[in-house]
Amino acid sequence: MDLYRLGIKFFAAGGERIQPAELIPIFHEWIQKQAFENHLLIDVHNYSHIREGPGILLVAHQGNFSIDMTDDRMGLLYYRKQPVETLTEIIKPAIEGCRLLENDPRVRDCLRFHTDEVLIVSNDRLLAPNNDETFSTLEPQLSSALNQVLGKTFKLSRISDDPKERLTIRAQA
Amino acid sequence: MPTWKEKLAGSMDPPLAEEIDVFETQMVLRRQGKLDEKIFAETRLRRGCYGQRYDNGHRHDGIRTQELSLSDVTKGPETLWDAPGMQRIKIPFGGVTPDQLDTLADLAEEYADSVLHVTTRQDFQLHYVHIEDTPSLMRRLAAVGVTTREACGNSVRNVTACPLAGVCRGEVFDVTPYAKACSKFLLGHPDTQGFGRKFKIAFSGCKHEACGLTSMHDMGCIAVKRLENGKERRGFELYVGGGLGAVPHQAKLFDEFLPEEELLPIAQAISRVFARLGEKKNRAAARIKFLVTKIGIEEFRRIVREERKIMPEDGRWTGYLANVDHYQETPKRQPARLNGHERPDAFEAWHRTNVYQQRQSGYAVVTVTLPLGDMSARQCRQLADVARRFSGDNIRTTVEQNIVLRWISEADMPDLYRELKCIGLDQSGAGTIVDVTACPGTDTCKLGIASSRGLAAEIRNRLSEKFFLLDDAVKKLHIKISGCFNSCGQHHIADLGFYGTSRTIDNRKVPHFQVVLGGKRQENAAAYGLAIGTVPSKRIPEVVALLTERYVQDRAGEESFQDFVKRIGKPELRRMLEPFMDVPSFESDPSYYSDWGDPRVFTIGDLGAGECAGAVVSTVQFDLAAAERLVFESQLKLDEGDYTRSDALAYKAMLQAAIALVRTEFHDVPDHPDSIVNEFRTRFYDTNVLGDRYAGNKFAQYLFRRHDSPPQVHTHDYAHRIVEEAQLFIEAVYACHDSLTERGTVGISGRLPVQVGKAGP
Repeated sequence: MDLYRLGIKFFAAGGERIQPAELIPIFHEWIQKQAFENHLLIDVHNYSHIREGPGILLVAHQGNFSIDMTDDRMGLLYYRKQPVETLTEIIKPAIEGCRLLENDPRVRDCLRFHTDEVLIVSNDRLLAPNNDETFSTLEPQLSSALNQVLGKTFKLSRISDDPKERLTIRAQA
Repeated sequence: MPTWKEKLAGSMDPPLAEEIDVFETQMVLRRQGKLDEKIFAETRLRRGCYGQRYDNGHRHDGIRTQELSLSDVTKGPETLWDAPGMQRIKIPFGGVTPDQLDTLADLAEEYADSVLHVTTRQDFQLHYVHIEDTPSLMRRLAAVGVTTREACGNSVRNVTACPLAGVCRGEVFDVTPYAKACSKFLLGHPDTQGFGRKFKIAFSGCKHEACGLTSMHDMGCIAVKRLENGKERRGFELYVGGGLGAVPHQAKLFDEFLPEEELLPIAQAISRVFARLGEKKNRAAARIKFLVTKIGIEEFRRIVREERKIMPEDGRWTGYLANVDHYQETPKRQPARLNGHERPDAFEAWHRTNVYQQRQSGYAVVTVTLPLGDMSARQCRQLADVARRFSGDNIRTTVEQNIVLRWISEADMPDLYRELKCIGLDQSGAGTIVDVTACPGTDTCKLGIASSRGLAAEIRNRLSEKFFLLDDAVKKLHIKISGCFNSCGQHHIADLGFYGTSRTIDNRKVPHFQVVLGGKRQENAAAYGLAIGTVPSKRIPEVVALLTERYVQDRAGEESFQDFVKRIGKPELRRMLEPFMDVPSFESDPSYYSDWGDPRVFTIGDLGAGECAGAVVSTVQFDLAAAERLVFESQLKLDEGDYTRSDALAYKAMLQAAIALVRTEFHDVPDHPDSIVNEFRTRFYDTNVLGDRYAGNKFAQYLFRRHDSPPQVHTHDYAHRIVEEAQLFIEAVYACHDSLTERGTVGISGRLPVQVGKAGP
């Protein structure tokens, strides 16, 4: 598919009990183990000093993971950087990141990710401008991919029609 | 699939658009192995595409060094093509508009990590950028009038200027139009292409403040006025040969009063002299400061003035001056005093540190403090909207890694503050001890030894917690941190400066910082600090606390920190630091053996080769690489069946190769086909210089024939032949240049050596 620059965010509950810096050693450990299939994990970057920013960033060649704080809602955000065959290839690493964090003894008692609400960000203003047409084109593909990976039916809606903003879609089960 | 190139066609300045097309073609050639990696490295650096840590394919993960399994194509020596890199974006004098901020935000989101970083030289930087994305990134910038050209590499870097220029209460005159003209004039200028190292220029509107930092620049220009025959004339006190780095130099006075009309020609003459006489082989001694020191400022001045006399006249030298007096910025709002307006919580503290009253009544400058120079793409876009409402296009970046909004109506301050608070950019303390400056250090820089940003964040957090308890004298101090001795964090000019280093304790590496005290930012970086001693990174915050407390206790009257440091002396300062210098064993306290914000066991194994400037590539090599690219493009046009364009490109390639050689003898050859061919014929063909290897003279006939007899009809066969001939001609020029270089007839700069110490022509 041509459009692969997509971001997908799974929101977390309990994030307020975690200091972003606590995630730094976890991400470094993921690099040591190269914990993701089909990803070359490269580096960790601390952006926790930026309000509602990328928080702690885990850089991979194929896509970046971050504990994103946009709108004061903590979540795991995965931005794809390299081409994919299907949209499921973008959803799966994000799910895997959530699973790894939920199972990590350092944070598992205070961090749970929801899978009934997902945010999808089209990160390509050329191929996917923020308009109804792009949304109409993407909606069935995204619904199908989310259903395939999460086993739920999602209702998709656009968040903003501001042409300067990226096309951002909320998917709710 | 649509492309930005198609979408933005017509929106970009044609020369900018063409440059980016050229770069894209060079990328293709490099990927195909048809362009040498060293030449490509310097080419990409001159487009602002800089290497980043781990791009050599190795990274220590805290346990072992991992090999990063990326494609083995390289974008420079030991620099993998697919490794993430940094993109530096030039912002001359820091001037940026809301529309440009919008674009920068878009690029940060789509091509980087959604963060924009303001540098200590008023640039923007994006990190973790893939080189394949850079042409689109550059086109989108070009469409809003921003270039990345010569943001890195051996070139004229971003021209900086005081962010208060034009609104400052103490300036002699507004240096903005001069900084702008200088930046534009030298960008891509042929005389600035043969440097052995980078060249940095700064402008200041006055002598006494810090904003311009002209004394630490290769060329520093301070605004001055002089009365001549009853008429006031503008000019500059001109300095050359300053610089930080491992060996800091204070700039030397070149001219007490350089009339404004001489600014650009003298900048050009200095460039020519630097290109010709500057060191080329030893990067560590290649900045102009070493040349000025070596030959002395008097001799340097004499050579530059001789050079000035022989330079061909250029209308651009003074063309811009007609508009200088009319240069002005348009405020967005009417001026009004802040009287009786409701003031939000925390407003007063913010107003005290972040607002500067302009000399224009009713207006002020607001500093938007960016912690560590960072803001998110979203904040950047929101800030653009805030600027649209309150300041219009009057935005500048600062060397303190902040952003200023100018021409804010004072009555708007409470509303502006509320809006900044909404977007998380309301931090007070601008220009105080909590406003710590730091280079990228080990976060992303290949040369970083210790974590400058990690330390900066720690110091900032600790000091912010007790900011209101600090003595006013301490609040005014400045802290600057570099990740290594190269001084990108400008530690030499801070009250309290630190640069990263490493020590080995029981066979383990421990991050340390050298403590540099008493630098002076004021008077344009008037004095550099004293290196006192090396302290483990984890003890530096305590050192800050100790030194500032001692300063408050022992300060004599209104004594400055610089004077305090001088008075108590280095031995005493050293004695104060000694209790912090010991490192416990790893077993008793392993925290010393990792750096701030990075839990990995500390190592310096990730250090790479610096790309601050690439390998020295001569002008001839660049010209010949350009000729090869043109032949490549002509081949593509031939394949597409566009024989007319194919022929034109092949001919242009031959001219490019010819001018490369001609310039080794006649630097100012007019860039016109007749002149190039005539000079080439006279100098290299008639003299048989070209013909002494591989029957070069035969290949010269290809150029002459095509020049004298352009085709009447464009056919495949003709175009095919001309492409082949162009390739052979370029090979002959390469061979000729190699031969001349071996004989020592041509210096590495590509120009004939000029003797130092004798009168010029």
